[in-house]
Amino acid sequence: MSLPESRERGATSAGAGDRGGSAGGGAAGVPGGAGRPSVVMVSVGRSSRLLGTALLVVALLVAGSVLGVANVEILLDALQFTVFAMATNILIGYGGLISFGQAIFYGAGAYTIALTWYHFRLDFWYGFVAAPFVGAAMALVVGLIVLRTRGLYFALLTLAFAQLLYTIALQQIGLTNGSTGIFGSMVPSWMEDPRHAFYFSLGITVLALSALWAVVHSPFGLTLRAIRENRERAESLGVNVFRHQLLAYVIAGFFCALAGTLFVVYDSASYPSLLDWITSGFPVFMVVIGGMSLFYGPALGALVYTVAYTLISRVTSEWELIFGIVLVVVALLAPQGLAGLMVGDQRGPPLAIARRWMSGSLAWARGHQRPWARRRGPW
Amino acid sequence: MSWGVVAVALLTSLSTAASLFMVAAGLTLIFGAMRVINLAHGSLYMYGAFIAATIVGSATGDTFWYALALAPLAVVVLGTLLEVGLMRRVYRADHLVQLLATYGVLLILGDLALQFWGASPLSVSSPRVLSGSLAFQHFTFPAYELFLTGTGVLVGLALWFLLARTSLGWKVRASVEDAELLAVRGTNVKLLYTVVFAIGAFLAGLGGALITPLQGVDTGLGSSIIVAAFVVAVIGGLGSIAGAALGAGIIAVFQMAGALWLPAWEPTSLYVAMIVVLAIKPWGLLGVRDR
Repeated sequence: MSLPESRERGATSAGAGDRGGSAGGGAAGVPGGAGRPSVVMVSVGRSSRLLGTALLVVALLVAGSVLGVANVEILLDALQFTVFAMATNILIGYGGLISFGQAIFYGAGAYTIALTWYHFRLDFWYGFVAAPFVGAAMALVVGLIVLRTRGLYFALLTLAFAQLLYTIALQQIGLTNGSTGIFGSMVPSWMEDPRHAFYFSLGITVLALSALWAVVHSPFGLTLRAIRENRERAESLGVNVFRHQLLAYVIAGFFCALAGTLFVVYDSASYPSLLDWITSGFPVFMVVIGGMSLFYGPALGALVYTVAYTLISRVTSEWELIFGIVLVVVALLAPQGLAGLMVGDQRGPPLAIARRWMSGSLAWARGHQRPWARRRGPW
Repeated sequence: MSWGVVAVALLTSLSTAASLFMVAAGLTLIFGAMRVINLAHGSLYMYGAFIAATIVGSATGDTFWYALALAPLAVVVLGTLLEVGLMRRVYRADHLVQLLATYGVLLILGDLALQFWGASPLSVSSPRVLSGSLAFQHFTFPAYELFLTGTGVLVGLALWFLLARTSLGWKVRASVEDAELLAVRGTNVKLLYTVVFAIGAFLAGLGGALITPLQGVDTGLGSSIIVAAFVVAVIGGLGSIAGAALGAGIIAVFQMAGALWLPAWEPTSLYVAMIVVLAIKPWGLLGVRDR
């Protein structure tokens, strides 16, 4: 891929430079629930947005050619997680649908390439082109069932579907080679050079983020946000909520499967743990860490996660302990994520945070929603 | 296939379902009262199992009963620390933030367990009294599985009694309806929540301690049980103890059927059961519509 071409691709996108998500309002990052303050749009001029994105893409291209191979591989890993997290954010951030089963489509994307290669020795490109559509088709079927439920039930039902596919991938050894997974040279030979794979992944990522940006800023994307803010009101205005959410689910499935294909570009493999609930958790946590209040928040989360994981794993084996502590701290002190901190969170200075933590009132301080409202339990 | 084979298979799945019920009941009790999703609940179960295995391994003789008494109490201490230090601070937060925080706790507890107990599984033999089996006609029913199933039923009845017939129970139910009014009436709701969480932790610890003779104890136990416990709780309807019991029963039947007739597909039965139930009743069998 030549440099000018990529720059032009970057220019048509508005991936990373966008600040047109929701900023301010404090609770803009938390989906669902009525009575939250309305989203304030902070928009940056179109030209500076395009310029910012183009600069970022050029910077990444330069990084891809000057960094050592090991570091390029980190970025390659970060790119596939970026697409995964950004696609999932269509549901979480914009749709207010906490899906805990996006690994279904991510894994399906990876397995589409791996299985067509393993069983039929089909060329990479057949699987690569088919995978997003496989993901979308699966999302249509799964979505018809899971979108009948809401809230936590939705999260847990999507989780059940992911676990179902995970156990199938684990058990049906004849089909999937079981827990070992499928390894091999399933990508074109030129892509086995991490640098080339990186350029390819970067191009796909820019295209994917451009498409997602267009989706989010289309009338459809706005309607989706309206449903998140107030489902009943949207319904009363004649919006077919189910159909909009189903389309969002299909779009997310499409791009999550694309992320799965980029995983194959990165690792030339596919194995059952790509479908398990830990994998489903990755994009969710990246979205929260990065912050869903900015368009590129999940991308930030993906980058921070991947880089931190690699760097910390090099020094210590206690990655899980450290990551766990970080998650707890983020949940307590920066529930809006990094993006929330960047655009000016409602949280006070550190001392005030510490005081509120001591009194156990951090979450109460969000106010505007009586915590004991809408509670009923069957006993 | 005779009824005896079915009965033995059913007993096996009922005994694991009994342990699963205890974890799911704690999960659903905590969710019902505090509306919090605790992904680390499975880790409490795992600690119950590890502590029980450590106590059994630390002395010779029939130490299983001491382990059974002490391990859940140790888990209660752990659970109380967790509630005071973290959970009460996220009760009012968004579900997503709760997921993030408790997933963090799951990772921390998992890593610490690996430090303490290592990666190789510990095993516990069942107590001498229950190591045999009961023969009926020419089928043998293992005694420990019978004991575990019976204990599950007893725990269920005790929970029902606690919630329906004691003052603690009516306070818990009142806090679900209107915590503000309960506080006005002079109940320390903060303390009440800690107690509810501790009861949930006790159930998880008990379930963990009870499962030790049936399976090896390793650090994967926490994350494998939590998904199953959620499935059980969701099938019954989140927040419903009776639902958890029903869910555990349904899972047991599904697993028994899977093990007998479709062994290759047995591990999927859990999820198939959940998908079928929620496709028909989106709020679980005994759940109420949320929001």
